[in-house]
Amino acid sequence: MPLCFVLAGILSLLVGTGLVFAHPDLLAMYHYTPHLIAITHLFVLGFIASIVIGAMYQLVPVTLGTQLYSESLVKWQFAAHTVGFTGMVWAFWNFNMAWVGVFGSVLTLGVGLFVFNLARTLAKVKGWRAIKLGIFSALFWLSSTVTAGLFLVASKYWSSSPFLPLAAMHAHAHLGVVGVFVMMIVTVSYKLVPMFTLSELQSERRAWWSVVLLNFGLLSAFVAILLQSSLKPLAALALIVAFAIYGWEIRAVLRARNRCSLDWGMKYFLTAIALLVPLSVLALGLSWPRLPITVFTMQLESVYGLLALAGFVGLAVLGMLYKIAPFLVWFHSYSHHIGCAKVPALADMYSVRLQIAGYWSYLPGLVVLCAATAFSNEAGIRWGSGLLALSLAIFALNLGKILSHFVRPQIKPFAPKHRAAQ
Amino acid sequence: MNATPLNDELVLETLRQVIDPELAVNIVDLGLVYSIHFTAGKLTVTMTLTTPGCPMHDSIADGVRNILLTLDGVTEVEVEVVWDPPWHPSMMTDVGRAMTGARKD
Repeated sequence: MPLCFVLAGILSLLVGTGLVFAHPDLLAMYHYTPHLIAITHLFVLGFIASIVIGAMYQLVPVTLGTQLYSESLVKWQFAAHTVGFTGMVWAFWNFNMAWVGVFGSVLTLGVGLFVFNLARTLAKVKGWRAIKLGIFSALFWLSSTVTAGLFLVASKYWSSSPFLPLAAMHAHAHLGVVGVFVMMIVTVSYKLVPMFTLSELQSERRAWWSVVLLNFGLLSAFVAILLQSSLKPLAALALIVAFAIYGWEIRAVLRARNRCSLDWGMKYFLTAIALLVPLSVLALGLSWPRLPITVFTMQLESVYGLLALAGFVGLAVLGMLYKIAPFLVWFHSYSHHIGCAKVPALADMYSVRLQIAGYWSYLPGLVVLCAATAFSNEAGIRWGSGLLALSLAIFALNLGKILSHFVRPQIKPFAPKHRAAQ
Repeated sequence: MNATPLNDELVLETLRQVIDPELAVNIVDLGLVYSIHFTAGKLTVTMTLTTPGCPMHDSIADGVRNILLTLDGVTEVEVEVVWDPPWHPSMMTDVGRAMTGARKD
């Protein structure tokens, strides 16, 4: 099932990027439009959430050294999730709030199953290590995000809300992106980065503080954004301190690593972490109470969203997918043959050259897209999204190579060997 | 076919066919095999994995069992996965270090 989530995510990503490429005007104007909200939900729920959820089902038991509470609930969630997000995207595109509410409720049902399943899994693990705290926090913020989303839809449908709609939408977006995606990525990387680089977590205390400050910063940011408070920069600063501590720990883990060379999956991931620097600068600038409201500064809000979603989260997810997707396919096709025949290693299942080409088209694509969005340049947006689409097509090609091991497993007999005699 | 007496060297050589698919290195050169005992057809392998909760846990343990059962004279294989002492990259052989690009210190 985790692979089904991954495939649903890749499909959504390709459709979403294709829509941006076909409609560059959407990014050239302010982001509060039905079509852009629809594409954002396709990207956030269809691509990122599908992959994060699929990966969590696989990684949470690994990172905490336990078993998933229920495998059958995963199937039910997959059904609710795919019906929910596709319906929501369709309803947003047509700006039909009643149907957004219906499909949003279906999605929420799936989220409820996910949270229940993982919370029961977490309950088996004793203590409050940083990783457990982080996953638990992400589950809490996920529940808060969907609740806030349903509240937004209801207030839009009945035209009654104590909050400014745009402020409420931005607060909802921060809950989802920072609380769920960033929190999950930060938390899981405390296990995966040491594992893939042959290193160890250097300071549990540092990891713990980064998670605590991320929670504190997000709560402050949510309230400050919702109430349009002048304290927004302080909330942004709390988040920046959390990112700085996170970066400090990852740097320490990398310095202590035993594996000198980093594979490209890790390079994707570390580039994502580096993008937290411009993202933090932008967050601080946009939270400034005296920031003049101009077309340019309003476009910078879209750049902020792009850097967070397509930059940090997108690159981190792609990097991790190069680890997770081969593993899932390998496990299905080869785990029963190990020791009986020669099986490929995970890195043999895809092309590293394509992986490098994907990296070097994604990064310029992101830069061009952000710059063009800032200056509302439609031609630039088309070029940027075209480069991103190229990178994703390369990724899809590599994913095809990985998936081909389902159909044609590459099992070879062992070389003849000596046998023991009694 | 050559007939070779069953000894640690042959068992280790056989176990070199079992790889950790993430690191693309066999479990012997990774230093995952701690000890081997052979008594009356039963081979007991004490080993570890690179990280507790490793998703490859069952696959690698089954792989060890499968390949050792192909050795003549081996009728039963017990694979004991232990976490003490925990695995450390310093346990790799020079070959393992070269294959993973690990530092020598």
